[in-house]
Amino acid sequence: MATARPGWSRRAQYGLFFSFLAVIAGIIVGLLLLALSLVAPQAYNGVKGAALDLTAPVTGALREVVSTTEGLFTGAGNYWDAANQNAKLKRERQAMLRRMVEAKAIFQENRQLKATLQLREHGRETIATGRIVGSSFNSPRRFAILSAGTKDGVRIGMPVRSPDGLVGRIIDAGALASRVLLVSDRANIVPSRLLRGGIPVIAQGRGDGTIDVRPLEVGRNPFKRGDIIITSGTGGLYPPLVPIGRVVKLDDDGAIALPLADPANTSFAIVEPPFEPAAVAAEASPTDAP
Amino acid sequence: MVRAALTGRTRIGREPAPYAPYVPAATVIVATLLSALPIISMSGWFPDFGYLAFISWRLLRADPWPPWWAAPLGLINDLFTGYPIGLSVLLWSATMLALDLIDRRTMWRDYWIEWIVASVLLAIDQWLQWRIAALTGASVPFWRMVPPLVISICVFPVSAWVVARVDAWRLRR
Repeated sequence: MATARPGWSRRAQYGLFFSFLAVIAGIIVGLLLLALSLVAPQAYNGVKGAALDLTAPVTGALREVVSTTEGLFTGAGNYWDAANQNAKLKRERQAMLRRMVEAKAIFQENRQLKATLQLREHGRETIATGRIVGSSFNSPRRFAILSAGTKDGVRIGMPVRSPDGLVGRIIDAGALASRVLLVSDRANIVPSRLLRGGIPVIAQGRGDGTIDVRPLEVGRNPFKRGDIIITSGTGGLYPPLVPIGRVVKLDDDGAIALPLADPANTSFAIVEPPFEPAAVAAEASPTDAP
Repeated sequence: MVRAALTGRTRIGREPAPYAPYVPAATVIVATLLSALPIISMSGWFPDFGYLAFISWRLLRADPWPPWWAAPLGLINDLFTGYPIGLSVLLWSATMLALDLIDRRTMWRDYWIEWIVASVLLAIDQWLQWRIAALTGASVPFWRMVPPLVISICVFPVSAWVVARVDAWRLRR
């Protein structure tokens, strides 16, 4: 459909005209699909899951290769400075042993206190474990691909964590893989609090791998560099006491934190059931409320 | 030319590969599937590979594929890169139409004009993604979209070069 005048051939003129119509039809279809994905994104759950299943096994296999190569390099690096590292690790081990004894004492005390209070403990169960195998490349959204899907029991909306901290929550689930909305995505808002002092704060991603944290109460900026942010369990989706990030920079009414669970270095991610499924369900269907 | 006889390879009897009409669309799909690479990007500064390949082909040739193929190619891109479904369908079809209208107006083209046209298209791509992200609850300031835009504009010549090589290969030039 390139040439401006296709000549006298009636057939060529019609061909040009119909190719224009086809492109305009493509634009209209695109607009309709886009409108539907803005208004009712769950309409595409099935097809998005299927697309994930197609690519995720390949991504997973390649990820193995990449991490093996990375492992070789860091392994070689470790040999380079072995003597120094050994001495440092020994010192650290001594310090850790002392801390561990303290922690054990605190743990015991904690258990006794809880027993006297008769506090109900939430059992933490694991739905599935998977690897983070890929991510979104070039949009303002921050997604990661997790190598566990509905076959393992993963459902949309479940929180995902790693041993280091909170990773995010499931937004698309295929049979073999699922897509995770990372805590650094702008649309992911996590009710949380400061580990030091327990001041309630709100953590919201910034879309570039960092997290914005703001105190719930307006006033003095409660953050210090190095503060740890943990989930509060409010809202019922994320379990409480999961570390989210560490404050690296203060700004005028809040701070910027780096996620503790770096998806690029997270070996395993754990999918857990929503902390309070009843609360999440009530929030998801506000039409039921009077 | 007499000189041509001195070069070893004859140009007679060399014809385009039988699958030549499908090579451009296939390269666009391959570029789309680059998003399946196991790279975990925290900043999201990678270029939109599918769209880069798409406009590189369209700027090199007026008819790399039948115009209506833009919509299904865009749908494939949406599915595999995790964009909202419909974003690339709309953008890629609109790109076909816009470049066709531009082709009717411009008298001549050179590398610089192509690069400028590509930069404008990539900027529209980034702007649209930013706008749709804002509508779906992830509004970030627009300056955060500038680094990926600059990177994709810088990558365009590379993509155009690769596409030109693939084109020469499929036509057995």
